[in-house]
Amino acid sequence: MVAHIVSPALLGLHAATVHVEADLRSGMPAFAVVGLPDTAVQESRERVRSGLVNQAFKVPRQRIIVNLAPADLRKVGPQYDLPIALAILAASGQIRRTLLAGLGAVGELALDGSLRPLQGTIAMAEHAAANGWTRLIVPAANAAEAALVTGVDIVPATSVRHAVDILEGRTEAEFAAIDPQRLLADHAGRHGPDMREIRGQSGARRALEVAAAGAHSTLMIGPPGGGKTMLARRLPSILPPLDLDHAVTLTRIHSVAGKLPAGAAMMAERPFRAPHHTISAVGLVGGGTVPRPGEVTLAHLGVLFLDEVCAFSPAALDALRQPLEEGTVDITRGMMTARFPARPLLVCAGNPCPCGYDGDADRPCTCPPGRATAYRARLSGPIMDRIDLHLTVPRLESGDIVGQVQGGEESVVVRSRVIAARARAAARGQTVANGLLPAAAARAVCVLEGPEEALLRRAVDRYALSARAYDRLLRVARTIADLEGVERVETRHLTEALGYRLPSADRMAA
Amino acid sequence: MMWRLGLLVLAQAVNRDLQAAARRAGGAKALWDCDQGRLPSVLGHDDDALRAWKAARKAFSTEWAMEELARQGAWWSAQLPPSIDALVDPPFALVGRGSPLGQAGDGVPVVAVVGSRRPTARGLSFARSLASDLCRQGAVVVSGLALGIDAAAHQGALDAGGSTIAVLGSSVDQIAPRTNLRLAERIIASGGTVLSEYWFETPPAPWRFPARNRVVAGIADAVVVVEAAERSGALITADFALDLGRPVLAVPGPAGATMSQGCHHLLRAGAALCERAEDVVAELDGLRWLGESAGPAAPEGGPDAVVFDEVLREPQLVDELAETCGLSTAEIVSALGRLEIDGLVARDALNRYSARGR
Repeated sequence: MVAHIVSPALLGLHAATVHVEADLRSGMPAFAVVGLPDTAVQESRERVRSGLVNQAFKVPRQRIIVNLAPADLRKVGPQYDLPIALAILAASGQIRRTLLAGLGAVGELALDGSLRPLQGTIAMAEHAAANGWTRLIVPAANAAEAALVTGVDIVPATSVRHAVDILEGRTEAEFAAIDPQRLLADHAGRHGPDMREIRGQSGARRALEVAAAGAHSTLMIGPPGGGKTMLARRLPSILPPLDLDHAVTLTRIHSVAGKLPAGAAMMAERPFRAPHHTISAVGLVGGGTVPRPGEVTLAHLGVLFLDEVCAFSPAALDALRQPLEEGTVDITRGMMTARFPARPLLVCAGNPCPCGYDGDADRPCTCPPGRATAYRARLSGPIMDRIDLHLTVPRLESGDIVGQVQGGEESVVVRSRVIAARARAAARGQTVANGLLPAAAARAVCVLEGPEEALLRRAVDRYALSARAYDRLLRVARTIADLEGVERVETRHLTEALGYRLPSADRMAA
Repeated sequence: MMWRLGLLVLAQAVNRDLQAAARRAGGAKALWDCDQGRLPSVLGHDDDALRAWKAARKAFSTEWAMEELARQGAWWSAQLPPSIDALVDPPFALVGRGSPLGQAGDGVPVVAVVGSRRPTARGLSFARSLASDLCRQGAVVVSGLALGIDAAAHQGALDAGGSTIAVLGSSVDQIAPRTNLRLAERIIASGGTVLSEYWFETPPAPWRFPARNRVVAGIADAVVVVEAAERSGALITADFALDLGRPVLAVPGPAGATMSQGCHHLLRAGAALCERAEDVVAELDGLRWLGESAGPAAPEGGPDAVVFDEVLREPQLVDELAETCGLSTAEIVSALGRLEIDGLVARDALNRYSARGR
């Protein structure tokens, strides 16, 4: 007797259907799994056997064949334990086979037959809904995130026995339901560390406000102890709050990566990712035989903070090029291509030189001549090309540290200005923030005439600005004008934008 | 006079300075003609060096040397300017690329602008604008093509469309540090000179830099030390200049600044003070100067003037200006942007702003 049930298989951020078939044949008792299973799926036999026995089911003393179709898709992970167990139960007549019609199941079994949580449940639920499955059994711990998806009943189960009881109607299923809008609203007022806690650093504060308002990538250079990391950590708190679509996207990414905060149903806040500088290119942009999102995707819609950016391997930084340009990462592996969204706000920080004290007022730099220049030169190329705002974060004077200087504005106040600036951009018909505008669109929303045009022409001559640098300047000036609430980009906006310009190659070498 | 060029080739072959050997031999010509028996007493009992000497001496021919020069696009001169000849151990000859050196006594002032390889932003900016101003007034700026002040001095001369001479501590085909390779090419392209007392393929070495400094001092009519720590190569240049009786000027820095201690030491010892190009002009009275140099006009009124006065006082970061000027950060960054376009302020790679040309 062949029993059949469907189960979702994760492919990047999406899922595919896997048909799980179980057949019993006479012969020496055995248990075989076929259909390109990996080691974790092979070991599933032992977990299923123990799990069923310990939940007072029988493991048929016959030849058990389990087939996972399609046979050319590599099945990975322990998530097929539950569908295999249910298929065997149906094949051996311990439950009615008709119960499995229209049903999907996914879950890893413990030896006692209880269900363990897994990754990517929300993506699986979306697949179930899209393919007309009526119900999807998931481990109870994953029910909340899966319930963000409408169009399929999410059945949380704690064990195989619990699942069977629900299927046979002995136990009422407690359909998981959450109110995502309320979750978002609850989080809107709450965020991580606050800008208020930063003392001094008025220059960096202003630059970060511009960065947040226009989604401009930023580079902070300064000696250790200036608070570059502190500043970057507070950037999410001045970014606009998430809307529901974005929150669901983020939840899917973080669920697939197994990075959803414990107990959380969804990502209600913008992520802040600060990978260590020893990270590999694959760790940064994603990869693996079964493609998994990298840091640039995990930071999607949030902040990707590269501290000690000069210490990252050139290969890793180079790999960031495509995602930063296109907002997506494509990972192609033998049988499949996965596309991950990757649109973080990039914030880089670095020391001015290897010892960290070049240009410091009080501490001398101990690097040999030329080292600081060589060190900074490593920044050039792929990353510098994408940096809109360049700022220096000086070391704090002792007075700032002990708190004689007043703390700054609260994040909420800054955030309201950021939201207003973005609303202004949206009112112009922009679908993306200024920093992400293509060159032609940037020139269209930043039309200069008269004195402004003359000034910019002078700047182009004086600094030998490239076309790319020119467009960057326009975008930043546009954002500064938006922050001020002015429709026309005026001289003062342009000159401020000039102040955030990158040092030219010439000055880097001097 | 080809034997002078031959001595350069020999110095490269034995990889050492032959000036001391020339003294022992009783003159450069005597060294060139030195017979094999006497050679060890002149050169020292170093078998490798002696072997290299003999081989190179035998292989040397005028045709080969001229071919090499042509191949490298270089010229040579045994006719040293009399100013260099006054040195205790003058170079045997000079190899150069770019324009030939001017004639001594033609009245064109030659000013050496030298200093630390690890300058402050203020020093860099001063050296650059001083060199520019000197060039505008008709001087030729000479320096050592090192990182820091030297490079800024050459750069400043190029900014003003002037001519500048870079004296190397290696041969003209071995520009070091490599970051200055472009600068060297621009110097040659704009009518300047890259100069060396070494034959091709002589790499830079620490002991060649003091020797290079004596050539810098030898060429220059006056030496300006912009920034120098207590023990700095720039002070060696100043010493050579003093030995030759040339004026030495030093640029003062803030009291107690590490990078100005060498300058303050010179000032205490009687060097002239250099705050602007006119100070150099005053020291070199009687040479052919062009007259006043006109810098850009300072801003009047408004935030620009407030910010400019503050930057004039001391090079500063935006944050420091925010504290002293009483303006918003946006206003300050905006004002600095305008001042930068007008060429009144400059910033270094770390965004520290300083006033230019003052």
